[in-house]
Amino acid sequence: MCVRSEASNVTEMNDWIAIGALALVGVLIPFGMMTVSYLLRPTVPETSKRATYESGEIPTGGTRIRFNIQYYMVALLFVVFDIETVLLFPWAVAYQDALAAPEISLVRALGPMLLFVAILLVGLAWAWRTGAVQWAQTPRQLETDRQ
Amino acid sequence: MSGATVAGGIDAMQALPAVPLQDTVLLPERIGELTGLDGFGLGGELLATFLAAFIVGNLMLAMTGVAGPWAKRKITAAFTDRIAVNRLGPAGLFIIIADSVRLLSKELVIPENADRPAYDLAPIVVASSALLGFAVIPMGSGIHLADPEVGLAYVFAVSGIASLGLVMAGYASANKYSMLGGLRAVAQNIAYEIPLVITGMSVVIFAGTLQMGEIVSAQAEPLVTIAGVSIPSWYALVNPFAFVLFLVANFAEVGRNPFDTPEAPTEIVAGYQTEYSSVYFVLIYLGEFLHIFLGGAIIATIFLGGPAGPGPAALGIVWFIIKIWGVFFATQWLRSAVPRVRIDQLIEIGWKGLLVLSFANLILTAVIVGVVT
Repeated sequence: MCVRSEASNVTEMNDWIAIGALALVGVLIPFGMMTVSYLLRPTVPETSKRATYESGEIPTGGTRIRFNIQYYMVALLFVVFDIETVLLFPWAVAYQDALAAPEISLVRALGPMLLFVAILLVGLAWAWRTGAVQWAQTPRQLETDRQ
Repeated sequence: MSGATVAGGIDAMQALPAVPLQDTVLLPERIGELTGLDGFGLGGELLATFLAAFIVGNLMLAMTGVAGPWAKRKITAAFTDRIAVNRLGPAGLFIIIADSVRLLSKELVIPENADRPAYDLAPIVVASSALLGFAVIPMGSGIHLADPEVGLAYVFAVSGIASLGLVMAGYASANKYSMLGGLRAVAQNIAYEIPLVITGMSVVIFAGTLQMGEIVSAQAEPLVTIAGVSIPSWYALVNPFAFVLFLVANFAEVGRNPFDTPEAPTEIVAGYQTEYSSVYFVLIYLGEFLHIFLGGAIIATIFLGGPAGPGPAALGIVWFIIKIWGVFFATQWLRSAVPRVRIDQLIEIGWKGLLVLSFANLILTAVIVGVVT
């Protein structure tokens, strides 16, 4: 499948060196801008200038509090689906080759993927029914949970 | 992809390198040849690679510079029947210089309760992660930094790092608006990441590879010929449903209207960037624009034939820039025309709408490709 010629195999390693070089540039640019800004900007310390912004009011309380993320179930769901996508990529790459091969039938090329996705969709259906894929639970759902 | 190619399977795929659009010589090697640096062994090669990365990085930075202080204002002004910047230079273009100096020379005010290392690192993470994605994008005219075999997966992985930066910014600011914004940003990103990747996968089924260069070459095949005009098999034309899904998921992923709830100005001031000023604000703002352009670059590469277009292949970069500016224009259009969705609606659209639709698209694509073959 690899279309790039043999000559490019020599540069196989260079791909990641180039990406590393861009990472270096990507860090150097922000640091360069920060240096320029450091040289240009004034510093005028004043009392209460650094107070947390709360629309002009005197800030009350902090943000380092315990908060209820009703949404955490979705984070778990995300991990499951994200791993699924990673596992599906090799299938997607190999699919056309598998179809072209005479000894592999359509059912064999497609079936396992359908089964794999179906299992996860059952999980999604469950999360949907229990109200896990919602930003916040409705008062009635909270009531049911409490009981 | 045309029916003939699907039927031909591997044989047809191997016939593809004849397509002239895709350069097999990447930018680092070309610069090495042009400057004669490749004669200096490993050190010369590394320097040529760094130069290439520098060119790509600054090209993107220049585009962001035009988009942020100038194009965004001009487009919004056109939609709301105003004139916007017009005093400095032709069409007010020199406002870019004036604004860069103005923003960089602002005082840096750091909130007293901020978590210092995280607060300082967040802008850098947001800006760098966006830039990193451009490494594997074939921009035409030989501007293509790297072409690893896992290109598409790499782009999705790298652009996902930005959510980390947004959460860092939101939490470390010790501001209530920032925290709400950071929380919303992560919820939104994880809700739309899956539809984005799954829809991208339906393109991989056609192309049979994750390598960006090959995805572009595969789209150069003629799809149909109408009255002597050959229409290429851009995947936006082969599978328009996937294209629309990807576009929507991408707008949500980069946090643009109507999905800009993480920084919704009328609800939570500026979300995760409320407490950022001076150069830190510039970096976060820059990162956002870079992400819009990265999203546009991914859309152009996997759905719109990358740098393909009429005229000689040397014009590739022009077509590529036109395409990603088209996506940028779409974001600005939506910004002026579409109301923002509520955060709970946003989550439900993601998990109950787009996710289901993207799986339907994947399965349908697989079945149709399978049956046609």
